[in-house]
Amino acid sequence: MKTSARFTVVLTRPCLVGALGVIALVVGPASANKDPVTPQQLKAYEDAFMEQVRIGDLLFHGDAALAKKMNVVLTTTGMACAMCHPFASDTHPQAFPKYQVSMNKFATLRDMINWCIEKPNQGEKIDSDSDAMKALEAYIYWSNTGSVLVPGKY
Amino acid sequence: MSELDRERRELATVLQRPGVRPDPLLRITRRTFVHRSCLTGAATVAQTFAWWPLLNTIDVAYAAEEPFKFAWVSDTHLYPKSVNTRFVEKVQRAAREVQAMNPPADFMIFGGDLAQLGRANELELGVELLNEVKIRKVFIPGEHDWYYDMGAKWKQLFDKPNWTFDHKGVRFIGLDTVTRGPDYWTVRKMSPEERMDHMATLDGSVAGPWAGVGRDQLDWVQKTLADWDKARPVVIFSHNPLYEYYPPWNFWVRDWREVNEVLKPYTNVTNIHGHVHQVLYNEIGTMRSIGMLATSWPWPYAPEGVPKLTKPMIRADPGDFYDGVGWETLSMNKDRIETQYVMWGRKEVFVQSPPDSSLSQPEILRPRIADQIWPY
Repeated sequence: MKTSARFTVVLTRPCLVGALGVIALVVGPASANKDPVTPQQLKAYEDAFMEQVRIGDLLFHGDAALAKKMNVVLTTTGMACAMCHPFASDTHPQAFPKYQVSMNKFATLRDMINWCIEKPNQGEKIDSDSDAMKALEAYIYWSNTGSVLVPGKY
Repeated sequence: MSELDRERRELATVLQRPGVRPDPLLRITRRTFVHRSCLTGAATVAQTFAWWPLLNTIDVAYAAEEPFKFAWVSDTHLYPKSVNTRFVEKVQRAAREVQAMNPPADFMIFGGDLAQLGRANELELGVELLNEVKIRKVFIPGEHDWYYDMGAKWKQLFDKPNWTFDHKGVRFIGLDTVTRGPDYWTVRKMSPEERMDHMATLDGSVAGPWAGVGRDQLDWVQKTLADWDKARPVVIFSHNPLYEYYPPWNFWVRDWREVNEVLKPYTNVTNIHGHVHQVLYNEIGTMRSIGMLATSWPWPYAPEGVPKLTKPMIRADPGDFYDGVGWETLSMNKDRIETQYVMWGRKEVFVQSPPDSSLSQPEILRPRIADQIWPY
Protein backbone atom coordinates (compact mmCIF):
# COMPACT_ATOMS: atom_id res chain seq x y z
CA MET A 1 0.00 0.00 0.00
CA LYS A 2 2.83 2.26 0.88
CA THR A 3 4.48 1.70 -2.47
CA SER A 4 1.25 2.37 -4.39
CA ALA A 5 0.69 5.56 -2.47
CA ARG A 6 4.14 6.82 -3.36
CA PHE A 7 3.62 5.84 -7.02
CA THR A 8 0.37 7.80 -7.11
CA VAL A 9 2.19 10.81 -5.79
CA VAL A 10 4.75 10.52 -8.55
CA LEU A 11 2.05 10.31 -11.20
CA THR A 12 0.41 13.45 -9.98
CA ARG A 13 3.52 15.54 -10.54
CA PRO A 14 3.76 16.53 -14.21
CA CYS A 15 7.38 17.56 -13.81
CA LEU A 16 8.34 13.94 -13.18
CA VAL A 17 6.82 12.49 -16.34
CA GLY A 18 10.24 12.29 -17.89
CA ALA A 19 11.56 10.38 -14.90
CA LEU A 20 8.68 7.93 -15.28
CA GLY A 21 9.79 7.17 -18.75
CA VAL A 22 13.22 6.27 -17.42
CA ILE A 23 11.72 4.07 -14.72
CA ALA A 24 9.55 2.29 -17.29
CA LEU A 25 12.61 1.65 -19.37
CA VAL A 26 14.46 0.16 -16.42
CA VAL A 27 11.56 -1.83 -15.00
CA GLY A 28 10.13 -2.91 -18.37
CA PRO A 29 12.50 -5.76 -19.25
CA ALA A 30 12.43 -7.09 -15.70
CA SER A 31 8.67 -7.16 -15.52
CA ALA A 32 8.54 -8.77 -19.00
CA ASN A 33 10.08 -11.84 -17.42
CA LYS A 34 7.16 -12.05 -15.05
CA ASP A 35 4.56 -12.12 -17.80
CA PRO A 36 3.60 -15.03 -20.06
CA VAL A 37 5.77 -14.95 -23.18
CA THR A 38 4.09 -13.77 -26.35
CA PRO A 39 4.62 -15.25 -29.82
CA GLN A 40 6.17 -11.93 -30.87
CA GLN A 41 8.69 -12.11 -28.04
CA LEU A 42 9.52 -15.72 -28.84
CA LYS A 43 10.15 -14.82 -32.43
CA ALA A 44 12.35 -11.90 -31.40
CA TYR A 45 14.41 -14.15 -29.12
CA GLU A 46 14.78 -16.79 -31.82
CA ASP A 47 15.66 -14.18 -34.43
CA ALA A 48 18.39 -12.81 -32.15
CA PHE A 49 19.85 -16.31 -31.85
CA MET A 50 19.49 -17.24 -35.52
CA GLU A 51 21.18 -14.03 -36.59
CA GLN A 52 24.26 -15.18 -34.65
CA VAL A 53 23.95 -18.65 -36.20
CA ARG A 54 23.84 -17.06 -39.65
CA ILE A 55 26.92 -14.96 -38.96
CA GLY A 56 28.72 -17.98 -37.52
CA ASP A 57 27.73 -20.09 -40.54
CA LEU A 58 29.25 -17.51 -42.90
CA LEU A 59 32.47 -17.19 -40.88
CA PHE A 60 32.70 -20.98 -40.56
CA HIS A 61 32.43 -21.27 -44.35
CA GLY A 62 35.17 -18.74 -45.02
CA ASP A 63 33.24 -15.53 -45.84
CA ALA A 64 36.25 -13.24 -46.18
CA ALA A 65 34.25 -10.00 -46.47
CA LEU A 66 32.39 -10.64 -43.21
CA ALA A 67 35.59 -11.63 -41.40
CA LYS A 68 37.18 -8.39 -42.53
CA LYS A 69 34.14 -6.41 -41.40
CA MET A 70 34.35 -8.06 -37.98
CA ASN A 71 38.07 -7.38 -37.86
CA VAL A 72 39.16 -11.00 -37.51
CA VAL A 73 41.67 -13.06 -39.50
CA LEU A 74 40.38 -16.62 -39.29
CA THR A 75 42.69 -18.03 -41.96
CA THR A 76 45.66 -17.23 -44.16
CA THR A 77 45.87 -20.55 -46.01
CA GLY A 78 42.63 -20.64 -47.99
CA MET A 79 41.34 -23.20 -45.46
CA ALA A 80 37.95 -22.58 -43.86
CA CYS A 81 36.51 -24.38 -40.83
CA ALA A 82 33.90 -26.15 -42.99
CA MET A 83 36.59 -27.70 -45.18
CA CYS A 84 37.32 -30.20 -42.41
CA HIS A 85 33.92 -29.91 -40.69
CA PRO A 86 31.03 -29.96 -43.18
CA PHE A 87 27.76 -29.31 -41.27
CA ALA A 88 30.10 -28.60 -38.32
CA SER A 89 30.60 -32.36 -38.14
CA ASP A 90 33.45 -33.75 -36.10
CA THR A 91 33.53 -30.59 -33.97
CA HIS A 92 31.80 -32.47 -31.15
CA PRO A 93 30.69 -29.45 -29.10
CA GLN A 94 28.79 -31.89 -26.90
CA ALA A 95 32.10 -33.36 -25.66
CA PHE A 96 33.50 -30.09 -24.27
CA PRO A 97 34.93 -29.20 -21.87
CA LYS A 98 37.48 -31.99 -21.99
CA TYR A 99 41.15 -32.82 -21.91
CA GLN A 100 42.20 -31.92 -25.45
CA VAL A 101 45.15 -34.02 -26.56
CA SER A 102 46.28 -31.70 -29.37
CA MET A 103 46.56 -28.83 -26.86
CA ASN A 104 47.72 -30.95 -23.96
CA LYS A 105 45.31 -29.16 -21.63
CA PHE A 106 41.78 -29.09 -20.26
CA ALA A 107 39.93 -27.07 -22.87
CA THR A 108 36.63 -25.48 -23.78
CA LEU A 109 35.04 -25.34 -27.22
CA ARG A 110 36.27 -21.75 -27.51
CA ASP A 111 39.85 -22.91 -26.83
CA MET A 112 39.44 -25.50 -29.57
CA ILE A 113 38.04 -22.97 -32.05
CA ASN A 114 41.07 -20.78 -31.45
CA TRP A 115 43.43 -23.73 -31.81
CA CYS A 116 41.95 -24.51 -35.23
CA ILE A 117 42.20 -20.86 -36.26
CA GLU A 118 45.86 -20.70 -35.24
CA LYS A 119 47.15 -24.13 -36.33
CA PRO A 120 45.46 -25.62 -39.41
CA ASN A 121 44.13 -22.27 -40.69
CA GLN A 122 47.20 -20.24 -39.62
CA GLY A 123 44.97 -17.29 -38.78
CA GLU A 124 45.03 -15.00 -35.76
CA LYS A 125 43.62 -16.05 -32.40
CA ILE A 126 40.40 -14.17 -31.58
CA ASP A 127 39.20 -12.84 -28.24
CA SER A 128 37.27 -15.60 -26.51
CA ASP A 129 34.41 -13.19 -25.71
CA SER A 130 34.37 -11.52 -29.12
CA ASP A 131 31.34 -11.30 -31.38
CA ALA A 132 33.02 -13.59 -33.92
CA MET A 133 33.70 -16.25 -31.26
CA LYS A 134 30.11 -16.14 -29.98
CA ALA A 135 28.78 -16.44 -33.52
CA LEU A 136 31.06 -19.38 -34.36
CA GLU A 137 30.02 -21.07 -31.14
CA ALA A 138 26.33 -20.41 -31.89
CA TYR A 139 26.64 -21.99 -35.34
CA ILE A 140 28.54 -25.05 -34.10
CA TYR A 141 26.07 -25.71 -31.28
CA TRP A 142 23.04 -25.09 -33.49
CA SER A 143 24.39 -27.39 -36.20
CA ASN A 144 24.83 -30.17 -33.63
CA THR A 145 21.35 -29.71 -32.13
CA GLY A 146 20.08 -33.02 -30.79
CA SER A 147 23.50 -34.55 -30.18
CA VAL A 148 23.75 -36.01 -26.70
CA LEU A 149 25.91 -34.23 -24.13
CA VAL A 150 28.99 -36.30 -23.32
CA PRO A 151 31.32 -33.82 -21.60
CA GLY A 152 34.87 -35.07 -21.29
CA LYS A 153 34.59 -37.77 -23.97
CA TYR A 154 37.78 -38.31 -25.98
CA MET B 1 10.21 -41.07 -43.38
CA SER B 2 12.76 -38.65 -44.78
CA GLU B 3 13.80 -38.68 -48.43
CA LEU B 4 17.24 -39.91 -47.33
CA ASP B 5 15.76 -42.83 -45.39
CA ARG B 6 13.57 -43.71 -48.35
CA GLU B 7 16.63 -43.73 -50.66
CA ARG B 8 18.57 -45.90 -48.23
CA ARG B 9 15.78 -48.45 -47.95
CA GLU B 10 15.45 -48.61 -51.69
CA LEU B 11 19.21 -49.04 -52.10
CA ALA B 12 19.20 -51.92 -49.61
CA THR B 13 16.15 -53.56 -51.17
CA VAL B 14 17.19 -53.18 -54.79
CA LEU B 15 20.95 -53.59 -54.65
CA GLN B 16 21.80 -55.58 -51.58
CA ARG B 17 19.71 -58.69 -52.09
CA PRO B 18 20.65 -61.80 -50.14
CA GLY B 19 23.18 -63.86 -52.05
CA VAL B 20 24.06 -61.18 -54.61
CA ARG B 21 27.77 -60.51 -54.34
CA PRO B 22 30.60 -59.54 -56.66
CA ASP B 23 32.26 -62.43 -58.53
CA PRO B 24 31.08 -65.79 -57.13
CA LEU B 25 34.50 -67.31 -57.87
CA LEU B 26 36.02 -65.07 -55.25
CA ARG B 27 39.19 -66.40 -53.76
CA ILE B 28 38.63 -66.97 -50.10
CA THR B 29 41.12 -64.95 -48.12
CA ARG B 30 40.93 -63.97 -44.52
CA ARG B 31 39.61 -60.62 -45.50
CA THR B 32 36.87 -61.82 -47.83
CA PHE B 33 35.88 -64.37 -45.25
CA VAL B 34 35.39 -61.51 -42.86
CA HIS B 35 33.31 -59.65 -45.42
CA ARG B 36 30.98 -62.61 -45.68
CA SER B 37 30.75 -62.88 -41.94
CA CYS B 38 29.76 -59.25 -41.77
CA LEU B 39 27.13 -59.68 -44.42
CA THR B 40 25.47 -62.63 -42.77
CA GLY B 41 25.67 -61.27 -39.26
CA ALA B 42 24.30 -58.09 -37.77
CA ALA B 43 27.42 -56.03 -38.43
CA THR B 44 27.16 -53.04 -36.18
CA VAL B 45 30.08 -50.67 -36.11
CA ALA B 46 31.30 -52.10 -32.83
CA GLN B 47 31.15 -55.62 -34.19
CA THR B 48 32.97 -54.56 -37.30
CA PHE B 49 35.79 -53.17 -35.18
CA ALA B 50 36.03 -56.51 -33.49
CA TRP B 51 35.77 -58.60 -36.65
CA TRP B 52 38.25 -56.96 -38.95
CA PRO B 53 41.77 -58.34 -39.11
CA LEU B 54 44.69 -55.95 -39.07
CA LEU B 55 45.15 -55.75 -42.82
CA ASN B 56 45.54 -52.72 -45.01
CA THR B 57 44.83 -54.45 -48.28
CA ILE B 58 41.66 -55.36 -50.08
CA ASP B 59 41.70 -58.68 -51.88
CA VAL B 60 39.44 -59.36 -54.79
CA ALA B 61 39.34 -62.25 -57.23
CA TYR B 62 40.75 -61.19 -60.55
CA ALA B 63 41.67 -62.64 -63.89
CA ALA B 64 44.23 -60.23 -65.23
CA GLU B 65 46.63 -61.73 -67.81
CA GLU B 66 49.78 -60.76 -65.93
CA PRO B 67 50.53 -58.99 -62.67
CA PHE B 68 50.87 -55.23 -62.71
CA LYS B 69 50.47 -52.21 -60.51
CA PHE B 70 48.97 -48.81 -60.97
CA ALA B 71 48.77 -45.75 -58.76
CA TRP B 72 45.91 -43.46 -57.79
CA VAL B 73 46.29 -39.83 -56.74
CA SER B 74 43.33 -37.47 -56.31
CA ASP B 75 41.79 -34.54 -54.49
CA THR B 76 44.87 -32.35 -54.39
CA HIS B 77 42.72 -29.15 -54.25
CA LEU B 78 45.56 -26.90 -55.33
CA TYR B 79 45.51 -23.19 -54.65
CA PRO B 80 48.15 -21.00 -56.29
CA LYS B 81 51.48 -21.20 -54.45
CA SER B 82 50.98 -17.65 -53.20
CA VAL B 83 47.96 -18.76 -51.14
CA ASN B 84 48.96 -22.15 -49.88
CA THR B 85 52.18 -24.15 -50.23
CA ARG B 86 51.03 -26.95 -47.95
CA PHE B 87 48.92 -28.63 -50.64
CA VAL B 88 51.68 -28.10 -53.21
CA GLU B 89 54.23 -29.90 -51.03
CA LYS B 90 51.92 -32.87 -50.62
CA VAL B 91 51.45 -33.23 -54.38
CA GLN B 92 55.22 -33.07 -54.81
CA ARG B 93 55.60 -35.82 -52.25
CA ALA B 94 52.95 -38.02 -53.88
CA ALA B 95 54.52 -37.48 -57.31
CA ARG B 96 57.99 -38.41 -56.01
CA GLU B 97 56.65 -41.55 -54.36
CA VAL B 98 54.63 -42.68 -57.38
CA GLN B 99 57.67 -42.18 -59.61
CA ALA B 100 59.83 -44.16 -57.15
CA MET B 101 57.55 -47.22 -57.12
CA ASN B 102 59.57 -50.37 -57.68
CA PRO B 103 58.53 -52.23 -59.73
CA PRO B 104 57.14 -49.17 -61.45
CA ALA B 105 53.44 -48.62 -61.87
CA ASP B 106 52.08 -49.21 -65.36
CA PHE B 107 50.08 -45.98 -65.16
CA MET B 108 48.69 -43.40 -62.77
CA ILE B 109 45.06 -42.35 -62.45
CA PHE B 110 44.28 -38.86 -61.28
CA GLY B 111 40.81 -39.03 -59.76
CA GLY B 112 39.66 -35.40 -59.89
CA ASP B 113 39.78 -32.16 -57.88
CA LEU B 114 43.22 -31.17 -59.06
CA ALA B 115 42.28 -27.51 -58.41
CA GLN B 116 40.47 -25.91 -55.47
CA LEU B 117 38.65 -23.11 -57.29
CA GLY B 118 38.92 -24.26 -60.89
CA ARG B 119 41.26 -21.46 -61.97
CA ALA B 120 43.57 -21.96 -64.94
CA ASN B 121 46.67 -21.28 -62.83
CA GLU B 122 45.62 -23.96 -60.31
CA LEU B 123 45.11 -26.58 -63.03
CA GLU B 124 48.39 -25.61 -64.71
CA LEU B 125 50.19 -25.87 -61.37
CA GLY B 126 48.82 -29.40 -61.03
CA VAL B 127 50.13 -30.37 -64.44
CA GLU B 128 53.53 -28.89 -63.60
CA LEU B 129 53.79 -30.75 -60.29
CA LEU B 130 52.64 -34.06 -61.78
CA ASN B 131 55.20 -33.74 -64.56
CA GLU B 132 57.50 -35.44 -62.05
CA VAL B 133 55.54 -38.61 -62.75
CA LYS B 134 56.91 -39.93 -66.03
CA ILE B 135 54.63 -42.95 -66.47
CA ARG B 136 51.34 -42.74 -68.37
CA LYS B 137 48.80 -40.52 -66.59
CA VAL B 138 45.07 -40.38 -67.18
CA PHE B 139 42.69 -37.86 -65.61
CA ILE B 140 39.04 -37.64 -64.72
CA PRO B 141 37.56 -34.34 -63.52
CA GLY B 142 36.27 -33.32 -60.09
CA GLU B 143 33.69 -30.62 -59.46
CA HIS B 144 36.40 -28.21 -58.23
CA ASP B 145 38.09 -28.46 -61.62
CA TRP B 146 35.03 -27.66 -63.68
CA TYR B 147 32.60 -24.98 -62.54
CA TYR B 148 34.68 -21.82 -62.90
CA ASP B 149 34.88 -22.00 -66.71
CA MET B 150 32.63 -25.06 -67.23
CA GLY B 151 35.58 -27.28 -68.01
CA ALA B 152 37.18 -25.15 -70.74
CA LYS B 153 40.69 -25.23 -69.25
CA TRP B 154 40.37 -28.83 -68.04
CA LYS B 155 39.41 -30.06 -71.53
CA GLN B 156 42.25 -28.08 -73.06
CA LEU B 157 44.72 -29.80 -70.71
CA PHE B 158 43.28 -33.31 -70.47
CA ASP B 159 40.89 -33.76 -73.41
CA LYS B 160 37.76 -35.86 -72.78
CA PRO B 161 36.40 -36.30 -69.24
CA ASN B 162 35.50 -39.96 -69.89
CA TRP B 163 37.51 -42.65 -71.62
CA THR B 164 38.25 -46.38 -71.76
CA PHE B 165 41.26 -48.59 -72.41
CA ASP B 166 42.21 -52.24 -72.02
CA HIS B 167 45.34 -53.23 -70.16
CA LYS B 168 46.60 -56.77 -69.61
CA GLY B 169 43.18 -58.35 -69.63
CA VAL B 170 41.34 -55.68 -67.67
CA ARG B 171 38.93 -53.12 -69.14
CA PHE B 172 39.38 -49.72 -67.51
CA ILE B 173 36.72 -47.04 -67.75
CA GLY B 174 37.08 -43.45 -66.58
CA LEU B 175 33.70 -41.87 -65.81
CA ASP B 176 32.73 -38.23 -65.56
CA THR B 177 30.37 -37.83 -62.60
CA VAL B 178 30.67 -34.07 -62.12
CA THR B 179 29.76 -32.10 -65.22
CA ARG B 180 25.99 -32.71 -65.32
CA GLY B 181 24.99 -30.58 -62.34
CA PRO B 182 21.68 -28.70 -62.42
CA ASP B 183 21.92 -25.06 -63.53
CA TYR B 184 21.76 -23.10 -60.26
CA TRP B 185 23.59 -20.04 -61.59
CA THR B 186 21.68 -18.62 -64.56
CA VAL B 187 18.49 -17.42 -62.86
CA ARG B 188 20.52 -16.12 -59.93
CA LYS B 189 22.81 -14.29 -62.33
CA MET B 190 25.95 -15.62 -60.66
CA SER B 191 29.45 -14.72 -61.77
CA PRO B 192 31.80 -17.63 -62.58
CA GLU B 193 33.48 -17.00 -59.21
CA GLU B 194 30.17 -17.25 -57.33
CA ARG B 195 29.18 -20.39 -59.24
CA MET B 196 32.52 -21.98 -58.35
CA ASP B 197 32.35 -20.93 -54.69
CA HIS B 198 29.01 -22.68 -54.22
CA MET B 199 30.26 -25.80 -55.98
CA ALA B 200 33.45 -25.77 -53.90
CA THR B 201 31.51 -25.86 -50.62
CA LEU B 202 30.95 -29.54 -49.86
CA ASP B 203 28.11 -28.90 -47.42
CA GLY B 204 26.56 -26.09 -49.44
CA SER B 205 22.92 -26.37 -50.41
CA VAL B 206 22.87 -24.21 -53.53
CA ALA B 207 24.59 -26.50 -56.06
CA GLY B 208 22.19 -29.33 -55.18
CA PRO B 209 22.51 -32.94 -56.32
CA TRP B 210 25.16 -32.29 -58.94
CA ALA B 211 26.79 -35.73 -58.99
CA GLY B 212 25.50 -37.98 -61.76
CA VAL B 213 26.55 -40.15 -64.67
CA GLY B 214 23.83 -39.18 -67.15
CA ARG B 215 21.84 -41.29 -69.60
CA ASP B 216 24.12 -40.41 -72.50
CA GLN B 217 27.22 -41.57 -70.66
CA LEU B 218 25.49 -44.72 -69.39
CA ASP B 219 24.63 -45.59 -72.98
CA TRP B 220 28.30 -45.11 -73.79
CA VAL B 221 29.29 -47.44 -70.90
CA GLN B 222 26.82 -50.03 -72.14
CA LYS B 223 28.27 -49.83 -75.64
CA THR B 224 31.82 -49.95 -74.27
CA LEU B 225 31.08 -53.13 -72.34
CA ALA B 226 28.95 -54.79 -75.03
CA ASP B 227 31.85 -56.85 -76.43
CA TRP B 228 33.36 -57.64 -73.01
CA ASP B 229 32.95 -61.07 -71.46
CA LYS B 230 30.67 -60.62 -68.46
CA ALA B 231 33.00 -62.52 -66.14
CA ARG B 232 36.16 -60.62 -67.10
CA PRO B 233 37.45 -57.83 -64.91
CA VAL B 234 36.23 -54.27 -65.29
CA VAL B 235 37.64 -51.39 -63.24
CA ILE B 236 35.67 -48.14 -63.24
CA PHE B 237 37.22 -44.91 -62.02
CA SER B 238 34.92 -42.09 -60.93
CA HIS B 239 35.23 -39.01 -58.79
CA ASN B 240 32.08 -39.77 -56.78
CA PRO B 241 31.05 -43.16 -55.37
CA LEU B 242 28.56 -44.92 -57.67
CA TYR B 243 26.09 -45.66 -54.91
CA GLU B 244 24.18 -43.63 -52.34
CA TYR B 245 26.25 -42.96 -49.22
CA TYR B 246 25.44 -39.37 -48.15
CA PRO B 247 23.64 -37.21 -50.75
CA PRO B 248 23.87 -33.90 -48.81
CA TRP B 249 27.62 -33.93 -49.51
CA ASN B 250 27.20 -35.55 -52.93
CA PHE B 251 28.79 -38.74 -51.61
CA TRP B 252 26.76 -40.55 -54.34
CA VAL B 253 25.59 -40.29 -57.91
CA ARG B 254 21.94 -39.36 -58.18
CA ASP B 255 21.35 -41.97 -60.92
CA TRP B 256 22.78 -44.91 -59.00
CA ARG B 257 19.75 -47.01 -59.96
CA GLU B 258 20.49 -46.65 -63.68
CA VAL B 259 24.23 -47.25 -63.11
CA ASN B 260 23.37 -50.51 -61.41
CA GLU B 261 21.05 -51.53 -64.26
CA VAL B 262 23.89 -51.11 -66.77
CA LEU B 263 26.53 -52.88 -64.67
CA LYS B 264 24.34 -55.68 -63.28
CA PRO B 265 25.23 -58.28 -65.92
CA TYR B 266 28.97 -57.93 -65.19
CA THR B 267 30.14 -59.99 -62.24
CA ASN B 268 33.66 -58.64 -61.82
CA VAL B 269 33.39 -54.87 -61.47
CA THR B 270 35.46 -52.71 -59.14
CA ASN B 271 34.77 -49.01 -58.73
CA ILE B 272 37.61 -46.87 -57.44
CA HIS B 273 36.52 -43.36 -56.47
CA GLY B 274 37.73 -40.13 -54.86
CA HIS B 275 35.74 -37.14 -53.51
CA VAL B 276 35.19 -38.60 -50.03
CA HIS B 277 38.81 -38.10 -48.86
CA GLN B 278 38.49 -41.23 -46.71
CA VAL B 279 38.84 -44.99 -46.59
CA LEU B 280 35.60 -46.61 -47.76
CA TYR B 281 34.61 -50.09 -48.87
CA ASN B 282 31.23 -51.29 -50.04
CA GLU B 283 29.62 -53.96 -52.15
CA ILE B 284 26.63 -52.96 -54.23
CA GLY B 285 25.05 -55.81 -56.11
CA THR B 286 27.90 -57.35 -58.09
CA MET B 287 30.14 -54.29 -57.85
CA ARG B 288 32.87 -53.55 -55.33
CA SER B 289 33.50 -49.94 -54.44
CA ILE B 290 36.68 -48.61 -52.85
CA GLY B 291 37.14 -45.02 -51.63
CA MET B 292 40.52 -43.31 -51.89
CA LEU B 293 42.38 -40.81 -49.74
CA ALA B 294 43.00 -37.20 -50.74
CA THR B 295 46.43 -35.63 -50.63
CA SER B 296 44.93 -32.35 -49.34
CA TRP B 297 42.86 -33.02 -46.21
CA PRO B 298 40.60 -35.80 -44.85
CA TRP B 299 36.81 -35.42 -44.68
CA PRO B 300 35.12 -36.83 -41.61
CA TYR B 301 32.80 -39.77 -42.10
CA ALA B 302 29.21 -38.67 -42.72
CA PRO B 303 26.97 -38.83 -39.64
CA GLU B 304 24.99 -41.66 -41.23
CA GLY B 305 25.19 -44.03 -44.18
CA VAL B 306 28.77 -45.28 -43.73
CA PRO B 307 28.73 -48.75 -45.35
CA LYS B 308 28.83 -51.56 -42.81
CA LEU B 309 31.59 -53.25 -44.81
CA THR B 310 33.88 -50.26 -44.33
CA LYS B 311 36.57 -50.58 -41.75
CA PRO B 312 36.96 -46.91 -40.83
CA MET B 313 40.24 -45.08 -41.13
CA ILE B 314 41.88 -43.69 -38.06
CA ARG B 315 40.82 -40.29 -36.71
CA ALA B 316 43.32 -37.81 -38.11
CA ASP B 317 45.35 -35.37 -36.05
CA PRO B 318 44.46 -31.91 -37.41
CA GLY B 319 47.80 -30.59 -36.18
CA ASP B 320 49.67 -32.84 -38.62
CA PHE B 321 49.05 -31.80 -42.22
CA TYR B 322 50.35 -35.16 -43.44
CA ASP B 323 47.94 -37.20 -41.33
CA GLY B 324 44.82 -38.79 -42.77
CA VAL B 325 45.92 -38.12 -46.33
CA GLY B 326 48.05 -39.77 -49.03
CA TRP B 327 47.69 -41.85 -52.18
CA GLU B 328 47.29 -45.49 -53.21
CA THR B 329 48.97 -48.33 -55.04
CA LEU B 330 46.79 -50.98 -56.60
CA SER B 331 48.36 -54.31 -57.56
CA MET B 332 46.69 -56.72 -59.91
CA ASN B 333 47.67 -60.30 -60.62
CA LYS B 334 45.76 -63.22 -61.94
CA ASP B 335 43.64 -63.72 -58.88
CA ARG B 336 43.54 -60.54 -56.90
CA ILE B 337 43.61 -56.79 -56.74
CA GLU B 338 45.30 -55.43 -53.66
CA THR B 339 44.70 -51.86 -52.60
CA GLN B 340 47.30 -50.33 -50.37
CA TYR B 341 46.60 -46.99 -48.74
CA VAL B 342 49.77 -44.94 -48.42
CA MET B 343 48.76 -42.70 -45.52
CA TRP B 344 51.56 -40.36 -44.58
CA GLY B 345 52.42 -40.13 -40.93
CA ARG B 346 50.59 -43.32 -39.90
CA LYS B 347 51.62 -46.90 -39.48
CA GLU B 348 48.02 -47.99 -38.86
CA VAL B 349 45.56 -46.74 -41.44
CA PHE B 350 42.52 -48.38 -39.85
CA VAL B 351 41.00 -47.89 -36.43
CA GLN B 352 42.16 -50.37 -33.85
CA SER B 353 39.47 -49.64 -31.27
CA PRO B 354 36.33 -47.44 -31.18
CA PRO B 355 38.07 -44.38 -29.64
CA ASP B 356 40.35 -44.25 -32.71
CA SER B 357 37.31 -43.45 -34.85
CA SER B 358 35.26 -40.28 -35.15
CA LEU B 359 32.28 -42.62 -35.57
CA SER B 360 32.50 -43.57 -31.90
CA GLN B 361 31.13 -40.10 -31.09
CA PRO B 362 27.53 -40.11 -32.39
CA GLU B 363 26.43 -36.76 -33.77
CA ILE B 364 23.19 -35.35 -35.08
CA LEU B 365 23.77 -32.63 -37.65
CA ARG B 366 21.71 -29.96 -39.39
CA PRO B 367 22.39 -28.59 -42.87
CA ARG B 368 23.70 -25.04 -43.11
CA ILE B 369 21.34 -22.11 -43.59
CA ALA B 370 23.31 -19.02 -44.51
CA ASP B 371 23.54 -19.92 -48.19
CA GLN B 372 19.74 -20.20 -48.39
CA ILE B 373 19.25 -16.58 -47.34
CA TRP B 374 19.06 -13.84 -49.96
CA PRO B 375 20.80 -13.30 -52.34
CA TYR B 376 21.29 -17.10 -52.47
